[in-house]
Amino acid sequence: MIDSSAPGDVIRLDGVTKTYQGGGPPALADVSMGVAAGEVVAVMGPSGSGKSTLLNLIAGLDRPSAGTVTVTGRRIDALGESALARFRARHIGIIFQFFNLLEDLTVEDNVLLPAQLAGASRRQARTRADELLARMGIAEHRNAYPARMSGGQRQRVAIARALVNRPAVLLADEPTGALDTATGQEIGRLLRELNEGGQTLVLVTHDPELAERYAARTVRIVDGRLAGIPAGVCR
Amino acid sequence: MNWFGAVRTASGGMLRHTVQAVVLGMVLLVSTASATLGLTLLAANDGPFQRAFNAQDGAHLSVTVDPARAGWARLAATRNAPGVTAMAGPFGEATVQSQFGGQPFGQLALVGRPSPGGPVDDVVPDGGRWVSGPGQIVLNGTPGGGGPVVGSKLVITGLPHPVTLTVVGFASSITNTADGWIAPAEVADLQGPGTAPSAQLLYRFAGAGTAAQVRADLAEVTGALPPGTVTGAGSWLAAESQNTSNGAIMEPFVVAFALIGLAMAVLIVANVVSGAVAAGYYRIGVLKSIGLTPAQVVVAYLSRVGGPALAGCALGVVAGNLLAVPVLHQSADAYGVGSQQVPWWASVLAPTGMLVLTVLAAFGPALRAGRLSATQAIAAGRAPNAGRGYAAYRLAARLRLPRPVGMGLAAPFARPARTLVSVAAIAFGATAVIFAFGLSASLGRAAGIQTLSATVPVQIQQDGPGGGPNQVPTAAQDAAVTAALRAQPGTAHQTVVYFNGVKAPGVAGNVNAWAFGGDSSWIGYGVITGHWYDAPGQVDVNTAFLNASGLSVGDTAIIDTGTAQVTVHIVGEVFHPSSDPAVYGSTQTLPGLAAPANVLQCDVGLRPGTDTAGYVQAVNNALGGNSPWGATTQKDGGTFYTVAVSLVGLLALMVAIAAGLGVLNTVLMTTRDRVHDLGIFKALGMRPGQMLTMVVCWMAGPAVMAAAIAAPVAVALNTATVHAMAGTAHTGVPASITQVFPPSRLALLSLAALAIAVAGALAPASWAARARPAVALRTE
Repeated sequence: MIDSSAPGDVIRLDGVTKTYQGGGPPALADVSMGVAAGEVVAVMGPSGSGKSTLLNLIAGLDRPSAGTVTVTGRRIDALGESALARFRARHIGIIFQFFNLLEDLTVEDNVLLPAQLAGASRRQARTRADELLARMGIAEHRNAYPARMSGGQRQRVAIARALVNRPAVLLADEPTGALDTATGQEIGRLLRELNEGGQTLVLVTHDPELAERYAARTVRIVDGRLAGIPAGVCR
Repeated sequence: MNWFGAVRTASGGMLRHTVQAVVLGMVLLVSTASATLGLTLLAANDGPFQRAFNAQDGAHLSVTVDPARAGWARLAATRNAPGVTAMAGPFGEATVQSQFGGQPFGQLALVGRPSPGGPVDDVVPDGGRWVSGPGQIVLNGTPGGGGPVVGSKLVITGLPHPVTLTVVGFASSITNTADGWIAPAEVADLQGPGTAPSAQLLYRFAGAGTAAQVRADLAEVTGALPPGTVTGAGSWLAAESQNTSNGAIMEPFVVAFALIGLAMAVLIVANVVSGAVAAGYYRIGVLKSIGLTPAQVVVAYLSRVGGPALAGCALGVVAGNLLAVPVLHQSADAYGVGSQQVPWWASVLAPTGMLVLTVLAAFGPALRAGRLSATQAIAAGRAPNAGRGYAAYRLAARLRLPRPVGMGLAAPFARPARTLVSVAAIAFGATAVIFAFGLSASLGRAAGIQTLSATVPVQIQQDGPGGGPNQVPTAAQDAAVTAALRAQPGTAHQTVVYFNGVKAPGVAGNVNAWAFGGDSSWIGYGVITGHWYDAPGQVDVNTAFLNASGLSVGDTAIIDTGTAQVTVHIVGEVFHPSSDPAVYGSTQTLPGLAAPANVLQCDVGLRPGTDTAGYVQAVNNALGGNSPWGATTQKDGGTFYTVAVSLVGLLALMVAIAAGLGVLNTVLMTTRDRVHDLGIFKALGMRPGQMLTMVVCWMAGPAVMAAAIAAPVAVALNTATVHAMAGTAHTGVPASITQVFPPSRLALLSLAALAIAVAGALAPASWAARARPAVALRTE
């Protein structure tokens, strides 16, 4: 077992195994790793290697079959569904490859939604959304619907939505996978800026260039196991 | 792969969509059961008396004879009289006074019959067994309602030594040829001293369709016997008239519920089936891309819903038959026809109709799927039509509502057609529920007004232990009643009621006249128009009187009481469901009626807080064991009202369940359509409770719309049904019977729409709330 975790990590996985119903080899097998506060970690690996499963477990979207997942000091694998949802709303922001915006909501309403679900006041949520829309450069599209926007604009909306509750951890699953190269680089730069502001970021990607350019550390997964940690960046 | 092999593979998916298959099967089960029950009720309502009369070889004529004049052999020989096709008897008969539980139980005509069957008047057992020897009795009717049950003891009074009979069973005679049946050997013991022996002969004739034919038949029988042998006769036409009237009263609401149930079943089945087929577009698209032909697609689609539909219909017809048993039992009670069965054609027509409906509902989407290209089918299966309902979401976001509530309220606008189906299903269900409550309340009020049970809880009638047939109480016995009532501190009112036939110009035959000896305003007759009489010379009449005479409230009429002709002023129309004209007035207004022979009863009103049972006991104790008078408790409503109310409840429940299933299916389809969005919501931190709220709120808007439709429709339906029922009962309706929906109650009852919506949405909402976000996100 390769263990890349350390005390004080904002994300800690200890001996995590995930097996799906129906048998077959585990999607993740005995994975232990950690991510420090303010760190950008890229998770790389071939298709089906377990990258998205790892991200889902950190986000609390799924539960490990064995092992523990601790985020900002809380064992999220032990939380009930309601507590987990509340934790996710307040502490975790997620960016998906295909944006996963709600098509029937305007840009502004998409961004406001997590804040509203978390119980933020209307005024606070709106102020924060205004700030993020401006920062992402899409303020003029606040009343537009996602279907009418470009891929890059949609991903900016998704990032704004992920950040609206000031999460301790930002998880990005192939954030540039559905974008052209130029737009992908634009989004990459945006993520780096966020990290420079102290945002902890876990980046799942196929793209070695994206990992190399923007991540401080890369974790490789092959067949559900951590395959090794490049010299100089492992802990 | 051969042609059908491909179809089998393509349609196999339904089995993996367990929930949808179960919902489809359940909807068809409930719909088929409802349809079976509805058709059965319509059939049961269609000439119930005539069919039961034929099935039970009912007696066209029941003749009471004095066997001492003719001898048993000669009586039996009347089976050969001209026109007689079948005969039963002679059976010994005794008319007795009875007590049950220490209280007068009335006069009973008991007939000694060795068995319930026979060539005429096949008595239908309804609990318990037939008499096997002396000391036993089978009562005509059904047990319950506070009366005797199997094992109860009846005491026959008026004999040198009281005889106790144990109730061993209940049975029904279509023409009520007896109040009870006893062992033939016991008849002689129950005929009081000095009473001439009596026997019963039951006949069926080749022709007995009219009163004239029956009279001719009776003349043939009478002529075949020595003069004076025949002492009485009862025609089947009287029972037919009474029962047909009862049946007709039931018809309007049975038809109303049957139509609501059938219409909703059609709507929901069409929606569920087309939804189930549309849910398979993606799969069909994939299979088309690997070579499935359009014809195979159509067949695959139809077979996709065929399995669950067949199972649902088969189970539904079984469930419908099982449900029909207690319902038919009740309706047979109400119609007084002994027993009714599910007609075979209802068990065939209901499932066949539902299957045809299923095929028709599936055919359109199947045909469309067959015509779509593979890529179009895949696209159609992957995503619902986008672009609808955005404005609603935008508006909901501006409302100061919890976000899940706002999102839920906006959702129906995304699928307007589906929403309309939901609105219709909920509206049908809510209409049925509100209508059922209203009709029950209306029937309850009608029962209360008709029986006067609220205002006249006690009546003194001539069925006391000292009474006997054709016996007129003495003045001293009448005075004892007055004294006994005055002595009771609980007596608030007492009014002697006299009854006799009178004549009124323009009305054929007799008019039933009720004359009240004293204040009668407290009795509380239901007044349809005008008011209750409050001065000499004023009378009230029933609707049948007005119809027969052509007079109206406010007119004057001449009444011939037999002793005098009086001109009366009609001041009110009272609620009295009967085809017989009736008039109500004081003994002052209707002179001659206040004769001892005309005393019908004494109506008694009690002071608040008086225990009715204790009062009745005390009065009967005071009257003693030799009085022909006895105090009895008035009960709420008769069998008809009890049966009608329970039938209404059952029918409404079935419609509401079907509506709930319709909602469940709609929410299930929407949940499937939006499963990916639900995953996103969860990923963004929507808690299970919020998810549950949001999904339930999908149905809140349609429920409110449905309630807004259902409430006025149910009120109108109730009013129309009550008037239709009253019309068949030859009466108008007091406003109080239809005004059963004060705004507060209607608002409360309208919540039925919300209850149906929530009940239907709760299960899929719970599934959505429990689903893991990662699973939901993966599911597209």
